[in-house]
Amino acid sequence: MPGKWDWLKDEIGLSNLLTGGRMLFKVIQGKLSVDDLTKCALCPNMCRHACPVSIVEGRETTSPAGKARVALMIREGRLKLDPDNLEPLYTCLGCDLCTLYCPFEFSVADFIRPVKEEAVSKGVVFEEFREVFENLETSGDVYGKADSGADGSGIVLYFRGCTVRNERPELAEKTVEFLRKLGYDVFTVKETCCGLPAYNLGNTELFKKTARKAADKLNATGAELIVTSCPSCAYTFRVLYPKYGIKLKPQVLHITELIGEVITGLKLSSEGTVTYHNPCKLAIHLGEKELLRSLLESVEGLEIREPRRELFCCGHGGSALSRLKPELAEEIAAERREQLKDGATRVVTACPSCELALNGDGLEVVDIVEFLLEMMKK
Amino acid sequence: MTLTFDEVLKRPKRDGSDKAIAELKSILGDRASTKPADLFSYSHDYWLITFHWLLKGKVPALPDAVVFPESEEDVVAAVRVAHEHGVPIYPYGGGSGVLGAAVPEYGGIVIDLKCLRDLRLYDDDLMVEAGAGVNGYYIEEYLNRKGYTLGHFPQSLYPSTVGGWVATKAIGQFSTKYGGIEDMVLGLRAAIPPGKLIELKPHPRTATGPDLRKFFVGSEGIFGIVTKVWLKVRPYPEERYLLSFASESLEDALDSVRRILRRGARPAVVRIYDRVETKRHFYKFEEMYGKIGTVMIVEGDSRLAKAEKETVEEEFRGTPTGEEPVRHWLETRFNVKEISEFAPVGVVIDTIEVAVNWNGAMNLYENVIRAMKSVKGTLMASAHASHFYDQGVCFYFTFAGVPPKGRSAEEFYNEVWDAAMRATLESGGTISHHHGIGRHRKRWLPEELGDAYEVLRKIKLAIDEKDVMNPGNMVV
Repeated sequence: MPGKWDWLKDEIGLSNLLTGGRMLFKVIQGKLSVDDLTKCALCPNMCRHACPVSIVEGRETTSPAGKARVALMIREGRLKLDPDNLEPLYTCLGCDLCTLYCPFEFSVADFIRPVKEEAVSKGVVFEEFREVFENLETSGDVYGKADSGADGSGIVLYFRGCTVRNERPELAEKTVEFLRKLGYDVFTVKETCCGLPAYNLGNTELFKKTARKAADKLNATGAELIVTSCPSCAYTFRVLYPKYGIKLKPQVLHITELIGEVITGLKLSSEGTVTYHNPCKLAIHLGEKELLRSLLESVEGLEIREPRRELFCCGHGGSALSRLKPELAEEIAAERREQLKDGATRVVTACPSCELALNGDGLEVVDIVEFLLEMMKK
Repeated sequence: MTLTFDEVLKRPKRDGSDKAIAELKSILGDRASTKPADLFSYSHDYWLITFHWLLKGKVPALPDAVVFPESEEDVVAAVRVAHEHGVPIYPYGGGSGVLGAAVPEYGGIVIDLKCLRDLRLYDDDLMVEAGAGVNGYYIEEYLNRKGYTLGHFPQSLYPSTVGGWVATKAIGQFSTKYGGIEDMVLGLRAAIPPGKLIELKPHPRTATGPDLRKFFVGSEGIFGIVTKVWLKVRPYPEERYLLSFASESLEDALDSVRRILRRGARPAVVRIYDRVETKRHFYKFEEMYGKIGTVMIVEGDSRLAKAEKETVEEEFRGTPTGEEPVRHWLETRFNVKEISEFAPVGVVIDTIEVAVNWNGAMNLYENVIRAMKSVKGTLMASAHASHFYDQGVCFYFTFAGVPPKGRSAEEFYNEVWDAAMRATLESGGTISHHHGIGRHRKRWLPEELGDAYEVLRKIKLAIDEKDVMNPGNMVV
């Protein structure tokens, strides 16, 4: 079979190869490469349609390639590293929906991270983010409320995460009940944050510090398995910790992954119609695009209707946008609600932040654990 | 036109600009921005040569302010302010235009329409109402969910907007069945100087003088700013057939399609690739390699589509090569990466689309390829035929090259373009099939239009006497 670039070699020929074509050949042979940020900056935004910020805010500066261009100009010293120029870079949900449509599979969030890190290291930090950093430093909790729970012990540790502990404590209770019904003798500990908010906001040093503290605590429990409610915590433990050399001994699963292993044996049935909201961290960053839907499909009698769009962030991902531009985050949530309503008004999700962001305005959004637990009790 | 970023940022604003910006800020609040990152972001569209400038820290131009209207009233207000103060105003959609039509050449105000996102389907009338800023993919997804399609799939579907399609007279890959955007526009609203919103209502047909709707289609913002459109929709196709062929010659493939269309069949997608492009796009398909590859999609009502498919099979002169090449095309048709890969290392690449009647088609194809290759520095030139009509065809040429010693990227780029445009005009073609005119192509427009060029210019100035609507674009 001919190779990808044979046509070009045939077309250009040897004589041109010795003159202007040399550069072209170096590129196709992989001997001359262009840095990824520049490549992204030169794209006509072929992922714009996937980006919730772009769809709702509609501003060129915060489009995926627009962010790359601003980051490139800051890197090249043509735009100043100041809050005005950083604001578009933080107008990102970190959902990586852009990656799904990129021919290079680039993540815009990854490209702009070095600029954010440089800003934080130079003290160019938005007031809205300082509070997060202070909370993590002082209480180990993103809300600034240190966990008042006690340390248990055992084999399976349920990690609630900052959002569940502060905003949805009843979900934590139900998750423990659910896991016990499945036969797991779970325990909890006095938690500290996984560190993701610091990472998202460009404070990588604080992330590493927070992560090491959390890892030490979790390793000391002797648990063999950690189950999380929040896919972001699972992602941080499983993907970011190894990336930064932070050793976490127990295996980590998001609750949906654990349910996936046992659901067929549960023989659940239900009536009614639901749609689902796939959390970005679960679908994209943990690579489980089909999981949530497949869990629902395991419930006999349940009608599942797809949302208008399969993947779209709830507006509250990435730690930055909901703090810097809460109105825009809410507009994105409202857009997602409309897409979900094309499916059904009862929505099952698997992330406490998504649930909190999307509930209301004619939608009843429930966590997969609560949804299944209700059936198990019948 | 190129200046360094700092030079442009520090240049004095034109007269009236400060007052206009102050007034816009009082009307729009923080939806009027003068932040450097916003000004930079609207300094260009996807005119490819401007990216060579950008890599060297230069921009074609910078606006003095960018505004983000959330309603048609906001757009009217911005046009009124621009007119009153004599400050240029440039509409901006998805910024995927490739000829510089959205470049704010003389400073002033860029108006980004992407927040105009109303969307409403009228089932019985097979019509959708859409704000100018609705994203291309978004509207198609919305319609599909309700059982319809617009049938408009430009390669810029993902980044572009409905208003941009209308303003640039865009066309999609499925045009041989569904037509260009001009065939879909039933009505529209536009903000024009001195600050008025006009509405051309959506009727199935109207004989109320010259068709003013068409007047705005392809006007690239020089008359006014399209704020809302009503477009035809079609039921989502019941049946779809994927067909491909390998032919011995380009003449054979072109003539096959000419005969298919004469019989009344309307395949949605027809793309005929010359030998170079067949090798480039279909190198995985040995039966096509070195030949002329054609991919086709026939779709619609199941009975009608079956009849059309049979017509294609009866008429096409070439070896059938199955569904796989078409699937490959469907999977890769939105992969746009050449500029990202090659522009930073100094390779100049661009595409040029022209149209010609059947009887001049082969002659034009050969002349344009020869003309582009004759420019020193050109490394390759190729084409595919991408859109088809009873009367003729659109050729979509691609060239790549490296400026020879002593020539800048811009000089080389202009030389190839000039060679292609001259060859097109001399071969009886039209200089643009669907990318439009913009700032780059306007130099060849007087030759194409002859005395009609002056008519266009007079119409422009009759509507926009102060020449504030996208000045410098299309007409001088």
